[in-house]
This record gives sequence, structure tokens and C-alpha cells, in this order.
Amino acid sequence: MADLMTTGTIPPAAVVTDPGRGVPRRKRRDGLAALGFLSPSIVTFLVFVLAPTAGVLYLSFYDWNLLSDGEFVGLANFDRLVHDERLLGVYGSTTYMALAILAVNVVFGLLLAVLLETRMPRWLRGFFRLSFLFPFVVSASAVALIWRFLLNKDLGLVNYLLGLAGVDRIDWLGSSAFAPVSVIVVNSWKTIGFSILVYIAGLQAIPDALKEAAIVDGANAWTRFWRITFPMLSPTIFFLVVINTINSFQIFAEPRVLTQGGPGDASRTIVEYLYDRAFGDFDLGYASAIGITFMLVLIVLTAIQFRLSRRWTFYE
Amino acid sequence: MNTPLRKFALLCATAALAVSPLAGCSNDDPGASGGDKSLEIVYWNYGPAAESGNKATADAFMAAHAGTKVTLTPVTGENWGTYYANVATLIASGKRPDVMVISGEGAQFVHANKLVQPINKYLESDAEAKTLTGDIAKGLIDGFTVKGDVVTLTYGWNDMVVYYNTDVFKQAGVEPPKADWTWADFEATAKKLTADTNGDGKPDRYGFTWASNEIFPGIMPWVANAGGNLTSDDVCKATADSPQVNKAVSFLRNLITEGVAPAPMPMSDVFTRFQNGQVAMFGAGRWPIATFLPAGFKAFDIQLYPKGDTYKTVFGGAGYPILKSSKNPDLAWEYQKFTVSEEIEKQYVGTPDKPGDSIPSRRSLAQTISKVGVPPANSDLYYDSIDKYPTLVPYPAPAKYSAFESTVLRHLQLIFAGEASVADGLKNMQGELSSIVTC
Amino acid sequence: MDLLRVSRILSRVATFTILVIAALAITAPFLWIFRGAFSGSDAELYRLPPTFDPDNLTTANFGKVTDQVPYFRFFLNSIIVSTTITLAQLVTCSTAGYAFARLRFRGKGVLFAVVIGSLMIPIQVTIVPLFLVMSKLQLTNTLWALILPGIFSAFGIFLLRQHFLALPFELEEAAKLDGAGHLRTFLRVILPLSGPSIATLGILCFTYWWNDLLLPLVMISDTERQTLPVGLVLLAGRFSTGSLGTIAAGIAMAIVPVLVVFIVAQRYIVQSIASSGLKL
Repeated sequence: MADLMTTGTIPPAAVVTDPGRGVPRRKRRDGLAALGFLSPSIVTFLVFVLAPTAGVLYLSFYDWNLLSDGEFVGLANFDRLVHDERLLGVYGSTTYMALAILAVNVVFGLLLAVLLETRMPRWLRGFFRLSFLFPFVVSASAVALIWRFLLNKDLGLVNYLLGLAGVDRIDWLGSSAFAPVSVIVVNSWKTIGFSILVYIAGLQAIPDALKEAAIVDGANAWTRFWRITFPMLSPTIFFLVVINTINSFQIFAEPRVLTQGGPGDASRTIVEYLYDRAFGDFDLGYASAIGITFMLVLIVLTAIQFRLSRRWTFYE
Repeated sequence: MNTPLRKFALLCATAALAVSPLAGCSNDDPGASGGDKSLEIVYWNYGPAAESGNKATADAFMAAHAGTKVTLTPVTGENWGTYYANVATLIASGKRPDVMVISGEGAQFVHANKLVQPINKYLESDAEAKTLTGDIAKGLIDGFTVKGDVVTLTYGWNDMVVYYNTDVFKQAGVEPPKADWTWADFEATAKKLTADTNGDGKPDRYGFTWASNEIFPGIMPWVANAGGNLTSDDVCKATADSPQVNKAVSFLRNLITEGVAPAPMPMSDVFTRFQNGQVAMFGAGRWPIATFLPAGFKAFDIQLYPKGDTYKTVFGGAGYPILKSSKNPDLAWEYQKFTVSEEIEKQYVGTPDKPGDSIPSRRSLAQTISKVGVPPANSDLYYDSIDKYPTLVPYPAPAKYSAFESTVLRHLQLIFAGEASVADGLKNMQGELSSIVTC
Repeated sequence: MDLLRVSRILSRVATFTILVIAALAITAPFLWIFRGAFSGSDAELYRLPPTFDPDNLTTANFGKVTDQVPYFRFFLNSIIVSTTITLAQLVTCSTAGYAFARLRFRGKGVLFAVVIGSLMIPIQVTIVPLFLVMSKLQLTNTLWALILPGIFSAFGIFLLRQHFLALPFELEEAAKLDGAGHLRTFLRVILPLSGPSIATLGILCFTYWWNDLLLPLVMISDTERQTLPVGLVLLAGRFSTGSLGTIAAGIAMAIVPVLVVFIVAQRYIVQSIASSGLKL
């Protein structure tokens, strides 16, 4: 930091740094301290996360409907996965919707957060932030209920307004083409405030000195963004990519209330699918098998993201 | 407790050791019915009415049976499905209630999972039972009979009837429907009611719509009146691709294509659209009045579904079956009888301000609805529809009802969105149902 | 020079246009909720074209909410649950985030991978085993059943770890030279610099648990111990056919506390930046 202050140079965008390497002088270990700092998390993790997850793994080898005597069936539940004709389609629609929601959150969230940095009265900034976060503070199913009314094909406000502009009525909730779009729009609308908030926290952490130095150097806004803001924000962007991937792959309330996953499986998500297997069909074993494989898919996805992040994430 | 559960419990217990001090701060769960004369009743807490109704019943029962203790366990759920799931979770954790509320769709489910104690022996030995069953329509007993076992007495039930908005009918100059109307009459009526009222060149008032998220108030009355059913008579085989089902679904799809019905929407949306006149007719049981009357909406009446190749009333009930796990089955039977007693059944009749949300199972009480003055005007039809008309028995509600219903609805979505032909959609539906509807 | 000024003005106009449009689009559905909450007639809410009749405004819906469900009891339960979880998470996540970001210890990579991995399994599938755990601990049907599962948060640990990683190491070095231990470095150096991130986590955590429906639905049976989201389900009633005005009023009443938390935390975000060492 002292370096930055004295020279005012802009850090290069692609520095590969391991956090540990920031302090190369001492090869000490902080094991005991780490244990102390981690213990509150470890205890709650073991009981309320690991034990239930182990339970899910355990159940995936059983045929159990909550009420029956469970029966050990080995890998039969996993074998069913391969023969489940709907599963691939549901994975497909989940991926489609998740990637779209991810893109909206990461890109538009950044755009709006950066625009919020513009000079403006404090109350106005507060007002904008509040408006963007508003949908996030209401329960997802309550919000989806409102949208269902608005998006109704023949009697909804959205199509009425579009109709005034001469657009034909669109079957937002009932057609295979638009039902996923509605889920994407409603979920992005709900979550973008969250991404904006995290971006703001990240933007706040960028030392003003860096920006000022760049202004002195005569860099324009565009250059400043790409040379300073973006690299300094890379840990935040990485965080949001990972978290939004995980969250958007797990959406549940919106498709359930808006479209009931339909038509067919056009807007069904994996979580909705396994929920129906568990609590609709009372097929706990199979639902657990879906849950375990889904978890593995997400772990692989995230591992790839972490691997890729080493290339472009900048930690000072 | 069964095998995997026991092992699982061990796992949990190990985990629990880590937080054993925490367990100390818990409120002690007094456990289910310990004493001789105690009952634990599980019911679906769908709202304030359910809670106050069940409290009233339990209090009255304790007052009438000195020394008994009734514990109520409300279970919240967004619909019957999540309610069953939550009850099953309770049972899996070792809770052993004596009685639980179920709907007709759940009868096969609880029977197949050997949860309930059939009441056949009580019906034979209890003298009072004869009087009670004599006052309950036969269809309601049949509806809860699975393979000869009577699962429960029905306390309240619903039949599917057509609700129509009398103001809209007046505005459109259309005569109110008669009980013997046909599908052709229905279609003509619906067409006359469909209109563009705000002048933007597209209809904004529709003749008819149905719930897209349920089978019974959705396609079932049409299937029944086409002379079909979704399952065979023993509920062991799906019959979704029969010509009768095809006829019913084609009729409904045609209403959408002709612009007489809007794109299908869930029941709750239908209610509002009906009250403000955007939809002139829809189908449901008696439960809409619990929404309409408190909201001050009275401009509606009811009529039977129109006749197709035949007429059959589609209905469903609810009851308080005795669970096998009950330590006091005899007392539980008394409770079940009590839920159909005159004192309690009056709740289901209700008053014009605070109407019941289902039809009382006892004929003598159902007939008081119009005398008490609970709208709609044609309220006598509710009980007549099961007493004086043929009924759809059996209920197409296999043990895996939830899977069955969601499969049917999923394929209907594609058909009604025009993305699958009726024949193809039903064929695919039948293909999937064949592994769900089994015996 | 003039050209530069014109382009600067243009870019400001563009910025505010985008922000205003986004704010309108995002908040519009809420106007409808608040209108519904004050509307005397459900039917009016769905009229097309939309109509607005000032004579029809009423506050009766709020009374109906409190008549139909023990609203204040739910409210209190929700406050207890959300506040306890939030405070607990701020402790667990900041300490764990610090350990992952700034300490060197064996197995760090694996442990962190496990933490992130725990985000991957949807609650919808762990809920049954979780219920059985709670039932073993005899905590079902208590507020503990809602609080304890929320205390560990992989999300929060990850969020704060990312933030701590971005802080300059030199600060810590300086503290070490002064002889400060880990705890002191954490409390005196790291935490004061982390206001915005911690406030962000606080807002997100509070909001999330304020709206959580699945846990109370499964864990709690006594109405007395339910939370607000369940209250909304109860207001919606059988097949969600309750009065829309009442439901809208219930939603509106549930939003207010979260707004307060947000406004307070947001102030803190701004202030902590102003006073932090980051200003250089």
C-alpha cells in the first residue's frame, strides 16, 4: 500500500497472488488461533449442516417414504437417475434459467452499482439503493404471487400495457418459450438488489487514492473503470459469480408459484423436481439421490470457477 | 422405529452430543397422549378458520366427555400436499397422534401406508352409528371406502358446481342456466358472455375458466360428464387416453381456442377474476363462499355442471380417521363421531356473515343452509347433487395421489398451451400414469 | 473543451435516466402491494385499465390482518429469530472469514472447500434429516429449531473472507510489529475496516431469515411460535383464496422492519467508510 501511495501507479490487472504470499517473510503457522476463530462455525456446521447432509447421503441408499420401514436398495436410486427420462430436460431448463439469471445479476448489477457511484445528493443515492433492494426484502412466494397476476396472458396488466403499444398478447406463464423467461425476469428482479449491495461494498473498499491518482494521470472514465475499478473489484465479482451460480441453480419459489414448472418441464428446476419427488411422491431415497448428484454437479462447477479465478482475480 | 431410521437416529445422536448443553435449553415436549383418556389430533392449519374450528370442536368434546384431554397439533401447509408431507415428517420423527384430518384424495394414501384403523367394526357395533350413517349420503361413505374398509366418516365435503356471476349475466342479457343444460348450451352461454368491455379490440370478459392447478375443480367434472374417468373402477389402472377423456379435454381446449376461456390460471386467481366480472363462470365446491361473503360479494349463484353424454356429480370429502398408532382407538372413534354431531356440523353450515367453507355431511343440517340464509340462493343444490344425481365413484385418487395429480396437470399445461395435441398429450400422460396408478 | 463538457452532461443525463428507469421498474409492483393494502375492494385491484378511486381507500385491511392471525406474536418471533441469527452470524462468519483469509494453518484449503461445498445442497432435501436432528435434540416446535440451523453460514464466511482478502496486508504487519496478537489484530485492525461488508452481511442475513418459510413450516406446529412468513400463508388461507387486500396489508406490514434495518445499516455503510483508514 505504501508503494501505491508514493508512486500512484495502477496495479496490473492480472496479477496472480496467493493471499499467503503477501507475507513471505514468516513461515509460521497459526493452527491454534485458527481453531479458536473457526470453532463457533465448526460446531454449528457439524450438527446442523454435516449431520443432515450425511443423512441425505444415507437415505440415498434406501427406499423410504417417511412412513414405511426403510429398505436398503444399494445403488438402485442412482441407477434410476440414468433412466429418468425427465431428469435431463429438467437439468437443461435449470441451466438455461440459472445462466441467464447469473448474467443479469453480474453484468447489470455491476452497471447499476457503478452508476450509483456518480456524484449525487446523499438522499438520492439512498433512495436508489433502497429501491433496488426492495424486492429482496419481501418473501419470494409473496412476490411471485403478484407477478402471476401481472403476467396473466388474457387478463394481466403487462399484456394490457403492451396491447396499448400494439403488441399481441404474450403467454408469459403458459408457453414453453416465455415461461422460463418470466422466471428469469422475476428472479433477477428479486435478486439484483443483493448483487448491487455486494458490489457497492466492494466499490467502497477501493482506495480513493487510486482513483484520484488515475484522474491526475488523465485517464478517462472508461479507462479508469477497466484499469482500476474492475481489477480491484475482481474478488467481489468472483464472489458474486460463485454465489449467484449456486443460488440461481437452486431457485425454487418462483417457478413453483408462477408456472408450476410448466408447461411440461419448460420452467422446472432441479430443486423443484426433487422437492416433488420427496414431498409429492414421498420418494425420499430417490430425492436424496437427486440431491447428492446435484450437489456434485454444483461442486464441480464451483471448483472450475475457483480454478479459473486464479487467472484473473486480483488480490492485493 | 424402522431400520434406517434407527441407524440414522444414532448418527444424529452422535451429532447431538456436540451440542448437548443446548438441548438443555429446550422446552420439553410433553410427548403424545400419555394418560388413559387423552387424544392427540393433527389437523391442517390452513388459516384462522381451521384453528378456531378445531379448538371449538376439541373444547366441546372435552366438555361433553368429562376427564378427557384433547391435544391439538396444528400442521401448517400451503395445500393438502404439503400438509401430508409435514404430518409424515412428524410421524417419521416418532410422533404418534391418535387422529389426523385427511381429505378424500388422501384416503388411498393413508390406507396403502397402513396408517389408519378402519371403522367397519364400530359401524356394526355402535348403535348410534346407524343413525349417523342414515343421515349421511351413501356417496360420502363410498368415497371413503377403500377395498371394503371404511376409512372415516366424512364431516364436511364439497361437490363441483358451476358458479356464475349474476350481475354479468344480467348485463349480457343471458338467462341463468338450468340444471339440465347441455355442453352445447354451456358453450353458447359462455360465448354470449365473452366481450370486449374496454374497447381495445380484444376480449377482457370471458365466459368461463377453470383452475389450472387442481384436477377436481378443473377437468374432472367434464371427464365425468363425458362418461369417463382418469382411472379404472378399482383405481388400479390409469385410463387417461380413453375417448371420453379426450372428448372432455378437447371441449375445454376448444373453449380456449375460440377465445371463450382465457389462458388457464390457478384457483386463487380465478376467484378474484370472477368477483370483478372478468370471468363470468367457473367451477368449484362450496369453499369459494368463505372468500366471497366476507368480502361482501353476493352477486353469484350456482348450478350443476352441464350434461355431456351423461351427468355425474364429482365430489370430495374430509374426515378425522383413527390412526393405527392410537392408544385410545375407542375414544378416537367417539371423537370422530363427535365431528359429525349436530353441534359441530352447525359450524360447517355457518351464518351469512361467517359462512362454513364446506358442506356438512349430515343431510338434515345441510338442508338448513338455505333456511339460515347463507348465500347463494340455490344452496339446496349442494346436497341434492349427491343425493339426487348419479355420482362419480370411485374417486380417481390413487395412493400416489400427488404424483398422479402433478403428472396430469403437467400434460394438461402443454395441451392447453397448444403445444401438444389432445391425443398426443393424453397418450404421454397415460404412459407416465401407468407406473403411478398401480395396485 | 466545450465538447468535453457536453459529453459530461450527456453522460450524467444517461446515468440518471438509467437509474430512474431501473428504480421505477423494480419498485412498480410494490406500488400495487401498497395500493392493495389500502384498497377497500379486491375486485378493483384487477380492473383493466387500472382505476383508482380515492373514496375506496381504507385502513381496514390492517385491522383484518391482526384479527385473523396473532400478528404481533409472529412479529416478535420473527424479530427474535432474525436478530439472533444475524448477531450470531456476524460473530461466526467474521471470525471464520478472518481465519480463512489471514491465518495459515494445515488443511485450510480442504476446510474452505467443505464450507463452500455445504452451499451446494438444497435445504429442500436436507430438511427431513434436519427435522430428525432437531427432534432428537427435542428442539422441534421451539424457536431454537429456527435459529440454530441459521448460525453457520457458508455464504457469510465466503463474503467476509473475500473482503478480508482485499484488505492490505501491510496494516496487519504494522499491528504485529506493535505486538498485537491475532485477536487484537482482528478486533482492532480488521473489523473497523470492514464496516460495509459486515453491514452488508447483516442486511442480507436478516432479510433472508426474516423471509424464510420452509423451516417454520416444517419445524413449528404451535401457532404461538410461528413467524411472519407463515402468517402470510395463513392469511392466504386454503388454496391461497384469502382476501387480496388483507394479504397485501400483511406483506406491507412485514416489509417495514426490514426497511428499518436496511436504512440503519446503510447509514453505517456510509459512515464507516468516511471514518475508516481506507480513505488514505
